[in-house]
Amino acid sequence: MKRLVRDNALALCFLLLFLASLAGQSVAGAAAFNKEQVTDGGSPVTWAEYVTSSSFAVDVAENWQSEYLQFFLYILITVWLIQRGSPESKDRHEEGLESDAEQKVGPHAVPGSPAWAVAGGWRRTVFSHSLGIAMGLLFLLSWLAQSVAGLAAYNTEQLAQLEDPVGWGGYVTSPDFWNRTLQNWQSEFLAVASMVLLAIFLRERGSPQSKKVGDPHSETASSG
Amino acid sequence: MGIRATAVACLALVTMGCASAERTPVTSTAERFLSAAGEGRGGQACLLLAPEAARSLDDCEKQIVSVGLRAGAVRGVDVWGDEARVRVDGDTLFLHRFPDGWRVRAAGCEPRAEQPYECEVKT
Repeated sequence: MKRLVRDNALALCFLLLFLASLAGQSVAGAAAFNKEQVTDGGSPVTWAEYVTSSSFAVDVAENWQSEYLQFFLYILITVWLIQRGSPESKDRHEEGLESDAEQKVGPHAVPGSPAWAVAGGWRRTVFSHSLGIAMGLLFLLSWLAQSVAGLAAYNTEQLAQLEDPVGWGGYVTSPDFWNRTLQNWQSEFLAVASMVLLAIFLRERGSPQSKKVGDPHSETASSG
Repeated sequence: MGIRATAVACLALVTMGCASAERTPVTSTAERFLSAAGEGRGGQACLLLAPEAARSLDDCEKQIVSVGLRAGAVRGVDVWGDEARVRVDGDTLFLHRFPDGWRVRAAGCEPRAEQPYECEVKT
Protein backbone atom coordinates (compact mmCIF):
# COMPACT_ATOMS: atom_id res chain seq x y z
CA MET A 1 0.00 0.00 0.00
CA LYS A 2 2.79 2.38 1.02
CA ARG A 3 4.68 1.53 -2.16
CA LEU A 4 1.55 1.95 -4.28
CA VAL A 5 1.07 5.46 -2.89
CA ARG A 6 4.74 6.36 -3.40
CA ASP A 7 4.77 5.01 -6.97
CA ASN A 8 1.69 7.10 -7.82
CA ALA A 9 2.38 10.07 -5.60
CA LEU A 10 2.41 12.63 -8.43
CA ALA A 11 -1.01 11.66 -9.80
CA LEU A 12 -2.49 11.26 -6.30
CA CYS A 13 -1.16 14.65 -5.22
CA PHE A 14 -2.79 16.44 -8.14
CA LEU A 15 -6.05 14.48 -7.80
CA LEU A 16 -6.26 15.54 -4.13
CA LEU A 17 -5.45 19.15 -5.05
CA PHE A 18 -8.18 18.94 -7.72
CA LEU A 19 -10.80 17.65 -5.26
CA ALA A 20 -9.86 20.19 -2.58
CA SER A 21 -10.00 23.05 -5.09
CA LEU A 22 -13.33 21.87 -6.51
CA ALA A 23 -14.77 21.64 -2.99
CA GLY A 24 -13.48 25.13 -2.20
CA GLN A 25 -14.89 26.48 -5.48
CA SER A 26 -18.30 24.99 -4.66
CA VAL A 27 -18.43 26.68 -1.24
CA ALA A 28 -17.17 30.07 -2.43
CA GLY A 29 -19.32 29.85 -5.58
CA ALA A 30 -22.47 29.09 -3.57
CA ALA A 31 -21.82 32.10 -1.33
CA ALA A 32 -21.31 34.42 -4.31
CA PHE A 33 -24.36 32.98 -6.12
CA ASN A 34 -26.61 33.47 -3.07
CA LYS A 35 -25.45 37.05 -2.58
CA GLU A 36 -26.53 37.81 -6.14
CA GLN A 37 -29.81 35.92 -5.70
CA VAL A 38 -30.80 37.96 -2.66
CA THR A 39 -29.76 41.23 -4.32
CA ASP A 40 -32.02 40.40 -7.30
CA GLY A 41 -35.00 39.77 -4.99
CA GLY A 42 -34.71 35.97 -5.23
CA SER A 43 -34.16 33.34 -2.56
CA PRO A 44 -30.85 31.71 -1.53
CA VAL A 45 -30.19 28.09 -2.55
CA THR A 46 -28.60 25.23 -0.61
CA TRP A 47 -25.07 23.97 -1.34
CA ALA A 48 -26.55 20.80 -2.90
CA GLU A 49 -28.79 22.88 -5.18
CA TYR A 50 -25.84 25.06 -6.20
CA VAL A 51 -23.48 22.19 -7.12
CA THR A 52 -26.20 20.70 -9.34
CA SER A 53 -26.94 24.06 -10.97
CA SER A 54 -25.95 25.19 -14.45
CA SER A 55 -24.11 28.12 -12.89
CA PHE A 56 -21.64 25.80 -11.10
CA ALA A 57 -21.40 23.44 -14.10
CA VAL A 58 -20.44 26.19 -16.56
CA ASP A 59 -17.81 27.61 -14.20
CA VAL A 60 -16.23 24.15 -13.90
CA ALA A 61 -16.50 23.17 -17.57
CA GLU A 62 -15.08 26.41 -18.98
CA ASN A 63 -11.87 25.82 -17.03
CA TRP A 64 -11.66 22.13 -17.92
CA GLN A 65 -11.97 22.74 -21.65
CA SER A 66 -9.16 25.28 -21.69
CA GLU A 67 -6.82 23.00 -19.74
CA TYR A 68 -7.45 20.08 -22.07
CA LEU A 69 -7.04 22.36 -25.10
CA GLN A 70 -3.72 23.55 -23.69
CA PHE A 71 -2.37 20.00 -23.34
CA PHE A 72 -3.87 18.91 -26.68
CA LEU A 73 -2.16 21.75 -28.56
CA TYR A 74 1.08 21.42 -26.62
CA ILE A 75 1.30 17.70 -27.37
CA LEU A 76 0.60 18.25 -31.07
CA ILE A 77 2.53 21.44 -31.75
CA THR A 78 5.72 20.21 -30.06
CA VAL A 79 5.82 17.39 -32.63
CA TRP A 80 6.50 19.95 -35.35
CA LEU A 81 7.84 23.14 -33.72
CA ILE A 82 10.97 23.51 -31.58
CA GLN A 83 12.28 26.14 -29.17
CA ARG A 84 16.06 26.30 -28.98
CA GLY A 85 17.31 26.06 -25.41
CA SER A 86 14.01 24.85 -23.95
CA PRO A 87 13.77 21.52 -22.11
CA GLU A 88 10.13 21.46 -23.29
CA SER A 89 11.28 21.13 -26.90
CA LYS A 90 12.90 18.51 -29.10
CA ASP A 91 16.30 19.27 -30.60
CA ARG A 92 16.86 20.74 -34.05
CA HIS A 93 16.32 18.31 -36.96
CA GLU A 94 14.04 16.16 -34.79
CA GLU A 95 10.85 17.90 -35.92
CA GLY A 96 8.08 15.64 -37.18
CA LEU A 97 6.79 12.15 -36.45
CA GLU A 98 10.28 10.55 -36.38
CA SER A 99 11.24 7.12 -37.77
CA ASP A 100 9.75 3.78 -36.71
CA ALA A 101 13.13 2.87 -35.21
CA GLU A 102 13.19 6.00 -33.07
CA GLN A 103 9.60 5.38 -32.02
CA LYS A 104 10.19 1.65 -31.36
CA VAL A 105 7.17 0.47 -33.35
CA GLY A 106 6.53 -2.60 -35.55
CA PRO A 107 9.75 -4.58 -36.11
CA HIS A 108 11.65 -2.07 -33.95
CA ALA A 109 9.50 -2.78 -30.88
CA VAL A 110 11.31 -3.76 -27.71
CA PRO A 111 10.34 -6.28 -25.02
CA GLY A 112 7.48 -4.69 -23.07
CA SER A 113 6.32 -2.46 -25.95
CA PRO A 114 2.51 -2.10 -25.92
CA ALA A 115 0.72 -4.62 -28.18
CA TRP A 116 -0.71 -1.91 -30.45
CA ALA A 117 2.81 -0.47 -30.96
CA VAL A 118 3.97 -3.88 -32.18
CA ALA A 119 0.87 -4.35 -34.35
CA GLY A 120 0.53 -2.70 -37.77
CA GLY A 121 -2.36 -0.96 -39.55
CA TRP A 122 -5.01 1.15 -37.87
CA ARG A 123 -4.15 -0.07 -34.37
CA ARG A 124 -0.62 1.31 -34.56
CA THR A 125 -1.90 4.54 -36.13
CA VAL A 126 -4.51 5.02 -33.40
CA PHE A 127 -2.09 4.14 -30.58
CA SER A 128 0.57 6.43 -32.08
CA HIS A 129 -1.82 9.37 -31.60
CA SER A 130 -3.85 8.12 -28.63
CA LEU A 131 -2.64 10.80 -26.21
CA GLY A 132 -3.54 13.62 -28.59
CA ILE A 133 -6.86 11.97 -29.47
CA ALA A 134 -7.76 11.56 -25.77
CA MET A 135 -6.88 15.17 -24.93
CA GLY A 136 -8.71 16.42 -28.03
CA LEU A 137 -11.85 14.46 -27.16
CA LEU A 138 -11.74 15.62 -23.54
CA PHE A 139 -11.42 19.20 -24.78
CA LEU A 140 -14.40 18.84 -27.14
CA LEU A 141 -16.56 17.15 -24.48
CA SER A 142 -15.70 19.82 -21.89
CA TRP A 143 -16.37 22.59 -24.40
CA LEU A 144 -19.72 21.03 -25.31
CA ALA A 145 -20.55 20.74 -21.60
CA GLN A 146 -19.61 24.41 -21.19
CA SER A 147 -21.96 25.38 -24.03
CA VAL A 148 -24.90 23.38 -22.63
CA ALA A 149 -24.43 24.45 -19.01
CA GLY A 150 -23.59 27.99 -20.14
CA LEU A 151 -26.82 28.17 -22.13
CA ALA A 152 -28.83 27.22 -19.04
CA ALA A 153 -26.95 29.69 -16.81
CA TYR A 154 -27.20 32.47 -19.42
CA ASN A 155 -30.94 31.97 -19.96
CA THR A 156 -31.56 31.89 -16.20
CA GLU A 157 -29.84 35.27 -15.96
CA GLN A 158 -31.69 36.60 -19.02
CA LEU A 159 -35.06 35.75 -17.45
CA ALA A 160 -33.98 37.21 -14.08
CA GLN A 161 -33.24 40.47 -15.94
CA LEU A 162 -36.61 40.35 -17.73
CA GLU A 163 -35.06 39.52 -21.09
CA ASP A 164 -35.79 36.80 -23.68
CA PRO A 165 -33.96 33.45 -23.46
CA VAL A 166 -31.89 32.28 -26.49
CA GLY A 167 -31.37 28.91 -28.23
CA TRP A 168 -28.12 26.87 -28.27
CA GLY A 169 -27.10 28.33 -31.64
CA GLY A 170 -27.70 31.83 -30.37
CA TYR A 171 -25.68 31.14 -27.24
CA VAL A 172 -22.57 29.66 -28.89
CA THR A 173 -22.36 32.77 -31.09
CA SER A 174 -22.98 35.12 -28.15
CA PRO A 175 -20.38 37.37 -26.49
CA ASP A 176 -20.99 35.56 -23.18
CA PHE A 177 -19.88 32.18 -24.59
CA TRP A 178 -16.79 33.57 -26.32
CA ASN A 179 -15.86 35.79 -23.39
CA ARG A 180 -15.89 32.76 -21.07
CA THR A 181 -13.98 30.69 -23.65
CA LEU A 182 -11.30 33.15 -24.70
CA GLN A 183 -10.54 34.48 -21.22
CA ASN A 184 -9.51 30.93 -20.33
CA TRP A 185 -7.62 30.27 -23.55
CA GLN A 186 -5.48 33.40 -23.32
CA SER A 187 -4.27 32.51 -19.84
CA GLU A 188 -3.37 28.95 -20.87
CA PHE A 189 -1.41 30.11 -23.92
CA LEU A 190 0.45 32.74 -21.87
CA ALA A 191 1.38 30.12 -19.25
CA VAL A 192 2.73 27.73 -21.91
CA ALA A 193 4.73 30.45 -23.67
CA SER A 194 6.14 31.55 -20.29
CA MET A 195 7.16 27.99 -19.41
CA VAL A 196 8.80 27.39 -22.80
CA LEU A 197 10.80 30.63 -22.63
CA LEU A 198 11.64 30.87 -18.91
CA ALA A 199 12.89 27.28 -18.85
CA ILE A 200 15.64 28.31 -21.29
CA PHE A 201 17.28 30.62 -18.75
CA LEU A 202 15.96 29.55 -15.32
CA ARG A 203 16.34 26.26 -13.43
CA GLU A 204 14.54 24.24 -10.76
CA ARG A 205 17.02 21.78 -9.33
CA GLY A 206 15.72 18.20 -9.46
CA SER A 207 12.66 18.91 -11.60
CA PRO A 208 12.25 16.96 -14.84
CA GLN A 209 10.50 20.06 -16.20
CA SER A 210 13.80 21.97 -15.91
CA LYS A 211 17.26 21.60 -17.37
CA LYS A 212 20.03 20.61 -14.98
CA VAL A 213 21.29 23.63 -13.06
CA GLY A 214 24.64 23.56 -14.84
CA ASP A 215 23.27 22.96 -18.34
CA PRO A 216 24.13 25.72 -20.84
CA HIS A 217 21.24 28.05 -21.81
CA SER A 218 21.69 26.91 -25.40
CA GLU A 219 21.07 23.24 -24.59
CA THR A 220 17.73 21.97 -25.86
CA ALA A 221 15.67 18.89 -24.88
CA SER A 222 17.31 18.03 -21.60
CA SER A 223 15.85 17.62 -18.14
CA GLY A 224 17.24 17.49 -14.64
CA MET B 1 -11.56 12.26 -17.07
CA GLY B 2 -13.89 11.55 -19.99
CA ILE B 3 -16.50 10.38 -17.52
CA ARG B 4 -16.24 13.67 -15.63
CA ALA B 5 -16.68 15.76 -18.75
CA THR B 6 -19.65 13.64 -19.80
CA ALA B 7 -21.07 13.94 -16.30
CA VAL B 8 -21.14 17.74 -16.59
CA ALA B 9 -23.04 17.50 -19.87
CA CYS B 10 -25.49 15.04 -18.31
CA LEU B 11 -25.85 17.28 -15.27
CA ALA B 12 -26.78 20.18 -17.50
CA LEU B 13 -29.25 18.04 -19.42
CA VAL B 14 -30.76 16.78 -16.15
CA THR B 15 -31.04 20.39 -14.98
CA MET B 16 -32.90 21.26 -18.17
CA GLY B 17 -35.03 18.15 -17.74
CA CYS B 18 -35.96 19.29 -14.25
CA ALA B 19 -36.78 22.67 -15.76
CA SER B 20 -39.26 21.12 -18.18
CA ALA B 21 -40.93 19.27 -15.26
CA GLU B 22 -41.56 22.69 -13.71
CA ARG B 23 -43.69 23.90 -16.63
CA THR B 24 -46.95 22.72 -15.03
CA PRO B 25 -46.55 24.50 -11.67
CA VAL B 26 -45.23 27.61 -13.47
CA THR B 27 -48.25 27.69 -15.81
CA SER B 28 -50.63 27.02 -12.93
CA THR B 29 -49.24 29.92 -10.85
CA ALA B 30 -49.39 32.29 -13.82
CA GLU B 31 -52.99 31.34 -14.66
CA ARG B 32 -54.19 31.60 -11.05
CA PHE B 33 -52.46 34.97 -10.69
CA LEU B 34 -54.00 36.42 -13.87
CA SER B 35 -57.46 35.04 -13.02
CA ALA B 36 -57.34 36.53 -9.52
CA ALA B 37 -56.09 39.92 -10.74
CA GLY B 38 -58.56 39.99 -13.65
CA GLU B 39 -61.56 39.02 -11.50
CA GLY B 40 -60.87 41.57 -8.75
CA ARG B 41 -59.51 39.14 -6.15
CA GLY B 42 -56.56 41.34 -5.23
CA GLY B 43 -55.73 39.50 -2.01
CA GLN B 44 -55.28 36.20 -3.82
CA ALA B 45 -53.27 37.82 -6.62
CA CYS B 46 -50.92 39.49 -4.13
CA LEU B 47 -50.26 36.14 -2.41
CA LEU B 48 -48.95 34.86 -5.74
CA LEU B 49 -46.63 37.84 -6.22
CA ALA B 50 -42.95 37.69 -5.22
CA PRO B 51 -42.53 39.57 -1.90
CA GLU B 52 -40.40 42.31 -3.54
CA ALA B 53 -43.00 42.81 -6.28
CA ALA B 54 -45.84 43.02 -3.77
CA ARG B 55 -43.89 45.56 -1.70
CA SER B 56 -43.32 47.69 -4.81
CA LEU B 57 -47.06 48.50 -4.81
CA ASP B 58 -48.34 50.97 -2.16
CA ASP B 59 -51.58 49.04 -1.66
CA CYS B 60 -51.08 45.70 -3.39
CA GLU B 61 -54.66 44.41 -3.14
CA LYS B 62 -56.14 47.53 -4.73
CA GLN B 63 -53.42 48.34 -7.22
CA ILE B 64 -52.98 44.84 -8.63
CA VAL B 65 -56.61 44.76 -9.85
CA SER B 66 -56.37 48.21 -11.42
CA VAL B 67 -53.39 47.40 -13.66
CA GLY B 68 -55.66 45.79 -16.26
CA LEU B 69 -54.26 42.23 -16.12
CA ARG B 70 -56.46 39.61 -17.79
CA ALA B 71 -56.34 35.81 -18.07
CA GLY B 72 -55.61 34.56 -21.60
CA ALA B 73 -54.56 31.50 -23.54
CA VAL B 74 -51.02 30.42 -22.71
CA ARG B 75 -48.80 30.81 -25.79
CA GLY B 76 -45.44 29.72 -24.41
CA VAL B 77 -43.61 28.71 -21.22
CA ASP B 78 -39.81 28.87 -20.76
CA VAL B 79 -38.22 27.59 -17.58
CA TRP B 80 -34.47 27.97 -16.90
CA GLY B 81 -33.19 27.22 -13.41
CA ASP B 82 -35.23 29.14 -10.88
CA GLU B 83 -36.57 31.60 -13.46
CA ALA B 84 -39.49 31.34 -15.88
CA ARG B 85 -41.31 33.34 -18.53
CA VAL B 86 -44.97 32.75 -19.44
CA ARG B 87 -46.45 34.32 -22.55
CA VAL B 88 -50.25 34.62 -22.65
CA ASP B 89 -52.51 36.48 -25.06
CA GLY B 90 -51.74 40.16 -24.49
CA ASP B 91 -49.30 39.73 -21.61
CA THR B 92 -45.96 38.29 -20.54
CA LEU B 93 -45.13 37.28 -16.96
CA PHE B 94 -41.80 36.46 -15.30
CA LEU B 95 -41.72 34.11 -12.32
CA HIS B 96 -39.13 33.03 -9.75
CA ARG B 97 -39.06 29.80 -7.77
CA PHE B 98 -39.03 30.38 -4.01
CA PRO B 99 -38.68 27.60 -1.38
CA ASP B 100 -42.49 27.46 -1.12
CA GLY B 101 -43.17 27.53 -4.86
CA TRP B 102 -43.31 29.76 -7.93
CA ARG B 103 -44.24 33.43 -7.55
CA VAL B 104 -44.78 36.19 -10.11
CA ARG B 105 -41.93 38.69 -10.07
CA ALA B 106 -43.09 40.76 -13.07
CA ALA B 107 -46.42 41.09 -14.86
CA GLY B 108 -48.00 43.25 -17.54
CA CYS B 109 -44.76 43.10 -19.50
CA GLU B 110 -44.20 44.39 -23.03
CA PRO B 111 -41.08 43.50 -25.06
CA ARG B 112 -38.71 46.31 -26.09
CA ALA B 113 -36.06 46.07 -28.77
CA GLU B 114 -32.59 45.31 -27.32
CA GLN B 115 -33.81 46.13 -23.80
CA PRO B 116 -35.48 44.31 -20.89
CA TYR B 117 -39.29 44.03 -20.96
CA GLU B 118 -41.25 47.05 -19.74
CA CYS B 119 -43.48 45.79 -16.90
CA GLU B 120 -46.46 47.30 -15.04
CA VAL B 121 -45.52 45.35 -11.91
CA LYS B 122 -42.02 44.13 -11.09
CA THR B 123 -39.57 43.52 -8.24
